[in-house]
Amino acid sequence: MFISRFIKWVIGEKKQWRQYKTRAKQLPASYRTALEALERYLMYFGTGGDGTAIYADLLDLFEQSAANRTPIRQIVGEDPVEFIETFVRNYPKGQWILRERERLTQALERAAAEQTQGS
Amino acid sequence: MSKQMTEMLKGTLEGIVLAILSVQPEYGYEITARLRDMGFSDIAEGTVYALLVRIEQRGLVVVEKVPSEKGPPRKVYSLNAEGRAYLDEFWRTWRFLTERLASLQKKGSR
Repeated sequence: MFISRFIKWVIGEKKQWRQYKTRAKQLPASYRTALEALERYLMYFGTGGDGTAIYADLLDLFEQSAANRTPIRQIVGEDPVEFIETFVRNYPKGQWILRERERLTQALERAAAEQTQGS
Repeated sequence: MSKQMTEMLKGTLEGIVLAILSVQPEYGYEITARLRDMGFSDIAEGTVYALLVRIEQRGLVVVEKVPSEKGPPRKVYSLNAEGRAYLDEFWRTWRFLTERLASLQKKGSR
């Protein structure tokens, strides 16, 4: 049961990824270059558990922008790093950093509570 | 746009976009165009798009996909009840903030 669900998940993801790649290839060259640069950054930065949704949404943005001939600077703004990191924060599902934020919050709570009791 | 303007806009853009949507449903590109008309000339398309993704995930808007003759289907955003409630809260907060700042400015200029 678990194995079959896992296989289905992997195949589903792979299929979505291939569809994404096919659509991305159809973008005009400069839009494709920009999208691939963001994609590369995400590979290192991480998207958390919901990897496919963020790529699909970015692709939507670039397809629409290409159709409207919006200049690339007007899509991502002056600071592409800030753009992509703000963007990633919209997809928190399963992201490891969320667990670490939770851990940090709890550790500080414990430390503060210990201090109140101690004094 | 100045650095200060960019920073201040970060905290208010969500409310501004919801206010635009409260007038009528809009496409992402129209929202950016409206913001540019309002004088926010440097606003990036991606900034608005990321914000729309967020308010959609938070359930403040209803999204309808409409086929377009060029490019992919376009998403039309309209406010739902939660979005309106959120916008009301935004305006209350905004009034509070502007009143306080105005009185601070008056005191300072004396």
